[in-house]
Amino acid sequence: MCGHCFIVPRDVLERLSRNDSLSATVRKGMARTAKLDIELRRLRAQNHRLTRLGMRLAPVPAPAAAPPVPQVLVADCQHGTTLPGVPVPAPGKSSDATARTVFDETTALARFYAKAFGRNSIDGAGMTLASSIHYGVDYNNAFWNGVQMTYGDGDGRIFLDFSRGNDVIGHEITHGVTQHTIQLGYTNEAGGLNESLSDVFGSMFRQWQAGQDVTGADWLIGKDIMGPEATARGFTCLRDMADPAAGHCLAPQITHISQFKKGMDPHHSSGVPNLAFTTAAKALGGKSWERLGQVWYRAMTGYRPSPNMKMAAFAERTRKAGATLYPGDAAVAGALDQGWRKVGL
Amino acid sequence: MTDDGEGASGGRIDVERIGGLAGFGGPGARIRSRGTLPLSALSRADRATLDRLLGQAGPAPPMPDEFLYRITRQVGARVLSVEVAESEVPAVLRACVRDELL
Ligand SMILES: [Zn+2]
Repeated sequence: MCGHCFIVPRDVLERLSRNDSLSATVRKGMARTAKLDIELRRLRAQNHRLTRLGMRLAPVPAPAAAPPVPQVLVADCQHGTTLPGVPVPAPGKSSDATARTVFDETTALARFYAKAFGRNSIDGAGMTLASSIHYGVDYNNAFWNGVQMTYGDGDGRIFLDFSRGNDVIGHEITHGVTQHTIQLGYTNEAGGLNESLSDVFGSMFRQWQAGQDVTGADWLIGKDIMGPEATARGFTCLRDMADPAAGHCLAPQITHISQFKKGMDPHHSSGVPNLAFTTAAKALGGKSWERLGQVWYRAMTGYRPSPNMKMAAFAERTRKAGATLYPGDAAVAGALDQGWRKVGL
Repeated sequence: MTDDGEGASGGRIDVERIGGLAGFGGPGARIRSRGTLPLSALSRADRATLDRLLGQAGPAPPMPDEFLYRITRQVGARVLSVEVAESEVPAVLRACVRDELL
Protein backbone atom coordinates (compact mmCIF):
# COMPACT_ATOMS: atom_id res chain seq x y z
CA MET A 1 0.00 0.00 0.00
CA CYS A 2 2.63 2.47 1.06
CA GLY A 3 4.66 1.66 -2.02
CA HIS A 4 1.95 3.45 -3.98
CA CYS A 5 1.68 6.47 -1.71
CA PHE A 6 4.19 8.48 -3.75
CA ILE A 7 3.38 8.17 -7.41
CA VAL A 8 5.94 9.07 -10.07
CA PRO A 9 4.06 10.28 -13.18
CA ARG A 10 3.74 7.51 -15.76
CA ASP A 11 5.37 9.54 -18.52
CA VAL A 12 8.45 10.10 -16.39
CA LEU A 13 8.74 6.43 -15.51
CA GLU A 14 8.28 5.41 -19.13
CA ARG A 15 10.84 7.87 -20.41
CA LEU A 16 13.35 6.77 -17.82
CA SER A 17 12.72 3.10 -18.44
CA ARG A 18 13.18 3.54 -22.21
CA ASN A 19 16.40 5.52 -21.89
CA ASP A 20 18.98 2.88 -22.81
CA SER A 21 21.86 5.29 -22.33
CA LEU A 22 21.28 5.16 -18.59
CA SER A 23 22.61 2.37 -16.45
CA ALA A 24 20.20 0.58 -14.15
CA THR A 25 21.76 2.40 -11.20
CA VAL A 26 21.31 5.81 -12.80
CA ARG A 27 17.75 4.96 -13.82
CA LYS A 28 17.00 4.04 -10.23
CA GLY A 29 18.64 7.26 -9.07
CA MET A 30 16.53 9.28 -11.48
CA ALA A 31 13.40 7.62 -10.27
CA ARG A 32 14.40 8.56 -6.72
CA THR A 33 15.06 12.15 -7.83
CA ALA A 34 11.71 12.33 -9.55
CA LYS A 35 10.06 11.12 -6.38
CA LEU A 36 11.98 13.68 -4.33
CA ASP A 37 10.93 16.48 -6.68
CA ILE A 38 7.33 15.44 -6.44
CA GLU A 39 7.62 15.34 -2.68
CA LEU A 40 9.21 18.80 -2.71
CA ARG A 41 6.21 20.13 -4.64
CA ARG A 42 3.86 18.39 -2.25
CA LEU A 43 5.79 19.83 0.67
CA ARG A 44 5.34 23.33 -0.72
CA ALA A 45 1.64 22.80 -1.27
CA GLN A 46 1.37 21.19 2.15
CA ASN A 47 3.14 24.14 3.72
CA HIS A 48 0.49 26.49 2.31
CA ARG A 49 -2.32 24.16 3.36
CA LEU A 50 -0.85 23.89 6.87
CA THR A 51 -0.63 27.66 7.13
CA ARG A 52 -4.30 27.98 6.16
CA LEU A 53 -5.38 25.16 8.46
CA GLY A 54 -3.39 26.56 11.36
CA MET A 55 -5.10 29.91 10.93
CA ARG A 56 -8.54 28.29 10.89
CA LEU A 57 -7.98 26.05 13.90
CA ALA A 58 -6.10 28.45 16.12
CA PRO A 59 -7.10 32.00 15.33
CA VAL A 60 -4.40 34.42 16.36
CA PRO A 61 -5.42 36.10 19.63
CA ALA A 62 -5.86 39.86 19.71
CA PRO A 63 -2.35 41.26 20.03
CA ALA A 64 -1.16 42.85 23.25
CA ALA A 65 0.11 46.44 23.05
CA ALA A 66 3.71 45.33 22.55
CA PRO A 67 4.23 41.59 21.94
CA PRO A 68 7.59 40.09 22.90
CA VAL A 69 10.33 39.82 20.28
CA PRO A 70 10.57 36.24 18.93
CA GLN A 71 13.69 34.11 18.92
CA VAL A 72 16.09 34.97 16.10
CA LEU A 73 18.36 32.28 14.63
CA VAL A 74 21.13 32.57 12.05
CA ALA A 75 22.78 29.68 10.17
CA ASP A 76 25.80 29.74 7.87
CA CYS A 77 25.59 27.96 4.49
CA GLN A 78 29.36 28.36 4.15
CA HIS A 79 28.86 29.03 0.41
CA GLY A 80 26.94 25.83 -0.15
CA THR A 81 23.28 25.65 -1.14
CA THR A 82 21.99 23.26 1.49
CA LEU A 83 19.55 24.91 3.86
CA PRO A 84 19.60 25.87 6.64
CA GLY A 85 23.38 25.38 7.06
CA VAL A 86 25.42 25.36 10.26
CA PRO A 87 23.90 27.24 13.24
CA VAL A 88 25.86 30.35 14.23
CA PRO A 89 26.16 30.38 18.04
CA ALA A 90 25.22 33.75 19.61
CA PRO A 91 24.91 35.44 16.19
CA GLY A 92 24.54 38.89 17.76
CA LYS A 93 28.10 38.59 19.07
CA SER A 94 29.58 36.67 16.15
CA SER A 95 32.91 37.63 14.58
CA ASP A 96 31.08 37.32 11.24
CA ALA A 97 29.72 40.79 10.38
CA THR A 98 26.97 39.32 8.17
CA ALA A 99 25.71 37.13 11.03
CA ARG A 100 25.66 40.14 13.37
CA THR A 101 23.84 42.31 10.82
CA VAL A 102 21.21 39.69 10.05
CA PHE A 103 20.64 39.04 13.75
CA ASP A 104 20.42 42.75 14.63
CA GLU A 105 18.22 43.76 11.69
CA THR A 106 15.90 40.76 12.02
CA THR A 107 15.49 41.55 15.72
CA ALA A 108 14.84 45.20 14.85
CA LEU A 109 12.27 44.17 12.25
CA ALA A 110 10.47 41.99 14.79
CA ARG A 111 10.36 45.08 17.07
CA PHE A 112 9.01 47.17 14.21
CA TYR A 113 6.16 44.72 13.57
CA ALA A 114 5.49 44.50 17.33
CA LYS A 115 5.58 48.22 18.11
CA ALA A 116 4.03 49.65 14.96
CA PHE A 117 1.44 46.93 14.27
CA GLY A 118 1.16 44.86 17.46
CA ARG A 119 2.28 41.76 15.56
CA ASN A 120 4.22 38.95 17.22
CA SER A 121 6.55 37.65 14.48
CA ILE A 122 5.73 36.24 11.04
CA ASP A 123 2.79 34.08 12.09
CA GLY A 124 1.48 36.45 14.76
CA ALA A 125 2.23 33.78 17.37
CA GLY A 126 5.92 34.19 18.08
CA MET A 127 7.36 32.02 15.29
CA THR A 128 11.16 31.76 15.46
CA LEU A 129 12.77 33.90 12.78
CA ALA A 130 15.36 31.75 11.01
CA SER A 131 17.81 33.08 8.43
CA SER A 132 20.64 31.53 6.44
CA ILE A 133 23.62 33.57 5.28
CA HIS A 134 26.54 33.04 2.86
CA TYR A 135 24.26 31.05 0.55
CA GLY A 136 26.05 29.87 -2.60
CA VAL A 137 29.05 31.52 -4.25
CA ASP A 138 28.80 35.17 -5.36
CA TYR A 139 25.06 34.66 -5.13
CA ASN A 140 23.08 37.72 -6.28
CA ASN A 141 19.81 37.08 -4.49
CA ALA A 142 17.85 36.76 -1.26
CA PHE A 143 14.63 34.77 -0.90
CA TRP A 144 11.92 33.37 1.37
CA ASN A 145 11.40 29.63 0.90
CA GLY A 146 8.19 29.23 2.86
CA VAL A 147 9.82 28.72 6.25
CA GLN A 148 12.95 30.92 6.44
CA MET A 149 14.96 33.77 4.94
CA THR A 150 18.14 33.22 2.87
CA TYR A 151 20.77 35.77 1.88
CA GLY A 152 23.55 35.59 -0.72
CA ASP A 153 26.83 37.50 -0.41
CA GLY A 154 26.47 39.19 -3.82
CA ASP A 155 29.26 39.01 -6.39
CA GLY A 156 30.97 42.17 -5.10
CA ARG A 157 30.70 43.88 -8.49
CA ILE A 158 27.00 44.28 -9.36
CA PHE A 159 25.74 43.56 -5.85
CA LEU A 160 27.09 43.67 -2.31
CA ASP A 161 26.01 41.36 0.51
CA PHE A 162 22.20 41.26 0.30
CA SER A 163 21.87 41.45 4.09
CA ARG A 164 23.27 45.00 4.00
CA GLY A 165 19.85 46.28 3.02
CA ASN A 166 17.46 46.68 5.95
CA ASP A 167 14.71 47.04 3.34
CA VAL A 168 15.83 43.71 1.83
CA ILE A 169 15.54 42.00 5.21
CA GLY A 170 12.15 43.64 5.74
CA HIS A 171 11.10 42.56 2.25
CA GLU A 172 11.96 38.89 2.79
CA ILE A 173 10.39 38.61 6.24
CA THR A 174 7.23 40.29 4.97
CA HIS A 175 6.87 37.48 2.40
CA GLY A 176 6.47 35.27 5.47
CA VAL A 177 3.86 37.59 6.98
CA THR A 178 1.96 37.57 3.67
CA GLN A 179 2.05 33.76 3.62
CA HIS A 180 0.52 33.67 7.09
CA THR A 181 -2.14 36.33 6.49
CA ILE A 182 -3.56 37.36 3.12
CA GLN A 183 -1.80 34.37 1.46
CA LEU A 184 -1.38 35.98 -1.92
CA GLY A 185 -0.11 33.74 -4.70
CA TYR A 186 3.00 34.54 -6.69
CA THR A 187 1.66 34.90 -10.21
CA ASN A 188 -0.33 37.52 -12.10
CA GLU A 189 -1.92 40.40 -10.15
CA ALA A 190 -1.76 38.58 -6.80
CA GLY A 191 1.98 38.07 -7.35
CA GLY A 192 2.44 41.80 -7.98
CA LEU A 193 0.54 42.59 -4.79
CA ASN A 194 2.62 40.03 -2.89
CA GLU A 195 5.85 41.66 -4.09
CA SER A 196 4.50 45.13 -3.36
CA LEU A 197 3.58 44.30 0.24
CA SER A 198 7.19 43.21 0.77
CA ASP A 199 8.52 46.45 -0.74
CA VAL A 200 6.03 48.59 1.21
CA PHE A 201 6.80 47.04 4.61
CA GLY A 202 10.52 46.81 3.81
CA SER A 203 10.57 50.53 3.01
CA MET A 204 8.47 51.44 6.06
CA PHE A 205 10.92 49.50 8.24
CA ARG A 206 13.80 51.46 6.71
CA GLN A 207 11.97 54.74 7.42
CA TRP A 208 11.06 53.65 10.96
CA GLN A 209 14.70 52.85 11.75
CA ALA A 210 15.83 56.20 10.41
CA GLY A 211 12.96 58.09 12.08
CA GLN A 212 12.00 59.56 8.69
CA ASP A 213 8.73 61.08 7.61
CA VAL A 214 7.45 60.63 4.05
CA THR A 215 9.44 63.59 2.74
CA GLY A 216 12.73 62.31 4.18
CA ALA A 217 12.25 58.74 2.89
CA ASP A 218 14.21 57.65 -0.17
CA TRP A 219 11.51 55.14 -1.26
CA LEU A 220 14.27 53.07 -2.88
CA ILE A 221 14.48 49.29 -2.67
CA GLY A 222 17.96 47.79 -2.63
CA LYS A 223 19.94 51.05 -2.38
CA ASP A 224 22.42 49.57 0.11
CA ILE A 225 23.20 46.43 -1.89
CA MET A 226 24.20 48.08 -5.16
CA GLY A 227 27.79 47.12 -6.07
CA PRO A 228 30.48 49.31 -7.65
CA GLU A 229 29.73 48.33 -11.28
CA ALA A 230 26.05 49.12 -10.84
CA THR A 231 26.62 52.47 -9.14
CA ALA A 232 29.27 53.42 -11.73
CA ARG A 233 26.58 52.93 -14.38
CA GLY A 234 24.17 55.22 -12.53
CA PHE A 235 21.92 52.55 -11.04
CA THR A 236 20.99 53.56 -7.51
CA CYS A 237 18.46 50.84 -6.62
CA LEU A 238 16.54 47.80 -7.74
CA ARG A 239 13.25 49.67 -7.64
CA ASP A 240 12.07 53.20 -6.86
CA MET A 241 8.62 53.08 -5.26
CA ALA A 242 8.06 56.78 -5.91
CA ASP A 243 9.15 56.58 -9.57
CA PRO A 244 8.92 52.92 -10.63
CA ALA A 245 9.82 53.44 -14.30
CA ALA A 246 12.91 55.59 -13.60
CA GLY A 247 16.18 55.00 -15.45
CA HIS A 248 18.15 54.74 -12.22
CA CYS A 249 16.34 51.51 -11.38
CA LEU A 250 18.02 48.22 -12.26
CA ALA A 251 14.58 46.78 -12.99
CA PRO A 252 12.12 49.55 -13.97
CA GLN A 253 8.45 48.72 -13.43
CA ILE A 254 5.01 49.46 -14.79
CA THR A 255 3.22 52.45 -13.25
CA HIS A 256 -0.41 51.97 -14.35
CA ILE A 257 -2.81 49.04 -14.23
CA SER A 258 -3.42 49.39 -17.99
CA GLN A 259 0.18 48.22 -18.54
CA PHE A 260 -0.35 44.96 -16.67
CA LYS A 261 -0.12 41.75 -18.70
CA LYS A 262 -0.90 38.23 -17.54
CA GLY A 263 2.22 36.24 -16.72
CA MET A 264 4.26 39.34 -15.85
CA ASP A 265 7.07 38.88 -13.30
CA PRO A 266 5.65 40.05 -9.93
CA HIS A 267 8.76 42.24 -9.49
CA HIS A 268 7.63 44.12 -12.60
CA SER A 269 3.92 44.50 -11.85
CA SER A 270 4.47 45.52 -8.22
CA GLY A 271 5.24 49.01 -9.50
CA VAL A 272 1.48 49.70 -9.62
CA PRO A 273 0.63 49.18 -5.92
CA ASN A 274 4.06 50.55 -4.91
CA LEU A 275 3.29 53.85 -6.65
CA ALA A 276 -0.23 53.92 -5.20
CA PHE A 277 1.14 53.51 -1.66
CA THR A 278 3.88 56.10 -2.11
CA THR A 279 1.53 58.64 -3.68
CA ALA A 280 -1.00 58.16 -0.88
CA ALA A 281 1.73 58.35 1.79
CA LYS A 282 3.02 61.63 0.40
CA ALA A 283 -0.51 63.03 0.18
CA LEU A 284 -1.19 62.12 3.80
CA GLY A 285 2.20 63.27 5.13
CA GLY A 286 3.81 62.36 8.44
CA LYS A 287 5.32 58.97 9.13
CA SER A 288 4.22 56.30 6.68
CA TRP A 289 3.64 53.57 9.26
CA GLU A 290 1.48 55.70 11.54
CA ARG A 291 -1.68 55.94 9.45
CA LEU A 292 -1.29 54.68 5.88
CA GLY A 293 0.83 51.75 7.08
CA GLN A 294 -1.96 50.81 9.49
CA VAL A 295 -4.43 50.79 6.61
CA TRP A 296 -2.12 48.57 4.50
CA TYR A 297 -1.50 46.27 7.49
CA ARG A 298 -5.22 45.86 8.06
CA ALA A 299 -5.78 45.15 4.35
CA MET A 300 -3.05 42.50 4.54
CA THR A 301 -4.04 40.86 7.84
CA GLY A 302 -7.63 41.78 8.69
CA TYR A 303 -9.63 39.84 6.11
CA ARG A 304 -9.95 36.33 4.70
CA PRO A 305 -6.97 34.88 2.77
CA SER A 306 -7.17 35.89 -0.89
CA PRO A 307 -4.63 33.90 -2.94
CA ASN A 308 -5.85 35.17 -6.33
CA MET A 309 -6.64 38.73 -5.40
CA LYS A 310 -6.61 41.36 -8.14
CA MET A 311 -5.19 44.82 -7.63
CA ALA A 312 -8.59 46.54 -7.90
CA ALA A 313 -9.92 44.32 -5.10
CA PHE A 314 -6.91 45.15 -2.91
CA ALA A 315 -7.44 48.87 -3.58
CA GLU A 316 -11.06 48.47 -2.51
CA ARG A 317 -9.94 46.62 0.60
CA THR A 318 -7.61 49.46 1.62
CA ARG A 319 -10.49 51.92 1.19
CA LYS A 320 -12.65 49.73 3.42
CA ALA A 321 -9.84 49.34 5.97
CA GLY A 322 -9.21 53.10 5.92
CA ALA A 323 -12.89 53.83 6.60
CA THR A 324 -12.92 51.30 9.47
CA LEU A 325 -9.71 52.51 11.10
CA TYR A 326 -10.21 56.24 10.53
CA PRO A 327 -13.95 56.83 10.17
CA GLY A 328 -14.74 60.30 8.93
CA ASP A 329 -11.07 61.13 8.33
CA ALA A 330 -11.22 62.85 4.96
CA ALA A 331 -7.43 63.11 4.77
CA VAL A 332 -7.01 59.31 4.83
CA ALA A 333 -9.82 58.68 2.36
CA GLY A 334 -8.53 61.44 0.08
CA ALA A 335 -4.95 60.15 0.17
CA LEU A 336 -6.07 56.62 -0.65
CA ASP A 337 -8.12 57.91 -3.53
CA GLN A 338 -5.23 59.96 -4.85
CA GLY A 339 -2.87 57.00 -4.63
CA TRP A 340 -5.07 54.49 -6.41
CA ARG A 341 -6.30 56.96 -9.03
CA LYS A 342 -2.71 57.67 -10.01
CA VAL A 343 -2.34 54.05 -11.12
CA GLY A 344 -5.82 53.75 -12.65
CA LEU A 345 -7.58 51.98 -9.78
CA MET B 1 24.77 5.66 -27.97
CA THR B 2 21.83 7.99 -28.39
CA ASP B 3 19.98 10.45 -26.20
CA ASP B 4 16.26 9.80 -26.49
CA GLY B 5 16.87 8.67 -30.04
CA GLU B 6 18.47 12.00 -30.99
CA GLY B 7 22.12 12.69 -31.76
CA ALA B 8 23.34 14.28 -28.53
CA SER B 9 26.74 15.41 -29.71
CA GLY B 10 25.54 18.52 -31.57
CA GLY B 11 22.92 19.62 -29.06
CA ARG B 12 23.15 22.72 -26.91
CA ILE B 13 21.39 24.18 -23.92
CA ASP B 14 20.66 27.86 -23.44
CA VAL B 15 19.93 28.96 -19.90
CA GLU B 16 18.53 32.27 -18.67
CA ARG B 17 18.10 33.01 -14.98
CA ILE B 18 15.14 35.32 -14.42
CA GLY B 19 13.27 36.97 -11.54
CA GLY B 20 14.79 36.91 -8.08
CA LEU B 21 14.61 39.89 -5.72
CA ALA B 22 16.25 42.06 -8.40
CA GLY B 23 13.85 41.07 -11.20
CA PHE B 24 16.51 39.72 -13.58
CA GLY B 25 15.57 39.63 -17.25
CA GLY B 26 12.22 41.38 -16.89
CA PRO B 27 10.87 43.77 -19.52
CA GLY B 28 13.15 46.80 -19.46
CA ALA B 29 15.42 45.26 -16.81
CA ARG B 30 19.04 46.37 -16.97
CA ILE B 31 20.31 43.17 -15.48
CA ARG B 32 20.27 39.71 -16.96
CA SER B 33 21.92 36.35 -16.48
CA ARG B 34 22.55 33.91 -19.31
CA GLY B 35 24.72 31.00 -20.30
CA THR B 36 25.12 28.21 -22.84
CA LEU B 37 26.38 24.66 -22.54
CA PRO B 38 26.89 21.88 -25.08
CA LEU B 39 24.58 18.99 -24.30
CA SER B 40 27.68 16.83 -24.04
CA ALA B 41 28.74 18.77 -20.91
CA LEU B 42 25.89 17.20 -18.95
CA SER B 43 26.24 13.92 -17.12
CA ARG B 44 23.78 11.18 -18.00
CA ALA B 45 21.95 11.82 -14.77
CA ASP B 46 21.65 15.56 -15.49
CA ARG B 47 20.46 14.83 -19.04
CA ALA B 48 17.75 12.61 -17.62
CA THR B 49 16.75 15.35 -15.17
CA LEU B 50 16.62 17.81 -18.06
CA ASP B 51 14.43 15.36 -20.01
CA ARG B 52 12.04 15.23 -17.10
CA LEU B 53 11.96 19.02 -16.66
CA LEU B 54 11.30 19.58 -20.36
CA GLY B 55 8.47 17.05 -20.24
CA GLN B 56 6.69 18.67 -17.30
CA ALA B 57 3.25 20.00 -18.08
CA GLY B 58 3.08 22.72 -15.44
CA PRO B 59 6.29 23.45 -13.54
CA ALA B 60 5.89 24.47 -9.90
CA PRO B 61 5.90 28.26 -9.44
CA PRO B 62 8.91 29.65 -7.58
CA MET B 63 8.82 30.60 -3.93
CA PRO B 64 8.95 34.40 -3.35
CA ASP B 65 12.15 35.84 -4.87
CA GLU B 66 13.42 32.41 -5.88
CA PHE B 67 15.06 32.53 -9.33
CA LEU B 68 13.36 30.92 -12.30
CA TYR B 69 15.46 29.30 -15.04
CA ARG B 70 14.34 29.40 -18.65
CA ILE B 71 16.03 26.36 -20.16
CA THR B 72 16.05 25.76 -23.91
CA ARG B 73 17.42 22.56 -25.42
CA GLN B 74 18.19 22.56 -29.10
CA VAL B 75 19.09 19.37 -30.93
CA GLY B 76 19.14 19.91 -34.66
CA ALA B 77 15.89 21.64 -35.59
CA ARG B 78 14.14 20.38 -32.46
CA VAL B 79 13.81 23.05 -29.78
CA LEU B 80 12.22 22.50 -26.38
CA SER B 81 11.93 25.13 -23.66
CA VAL B 82 10.73 25.24 -20.06
CA GLU B 83 10.79 27.60 -17.06
CA VAL B 84 11.54 25.98 -13.71
CA ALA B 85 12.28 27.13 -10.17
CA GLU B 86 15.94 27.21 -9.17
CA SER B 87 15.52 24.44 -6.61
CA GLU B 88 14.73 22.01 -9.45
CA VAL B 89 17.64 22.91 -11.75
CA PRO B 90 20.80 20.72 -11.93
CA ALA B 91 23.89 22.42 -10.48
CA VAL B 92 25.76 22.36 -13.80
CA LEU B 93 23.02 24.46 -15.43
CA ARG B 94 22.76 26.83 -12.45
CA ALA B 95 26.51 27.40 -12.66
CA CYS B 96 26.69 28.15 -16.39
CA VAL B 97 25.02 31.59 -16.24
CA ARG B 98 26.80 34.90 -15.81
CA ASP B 99 25.13 38.01 -14.43
CA GLU B 100 25.62 41.18 -16.46
CA LEU B 101 24.43 44.77 -16.65
CA LEU B 102 22.87 46.00 -19.89
ZN1 LIG C 1 10.05 39.49 -2.99
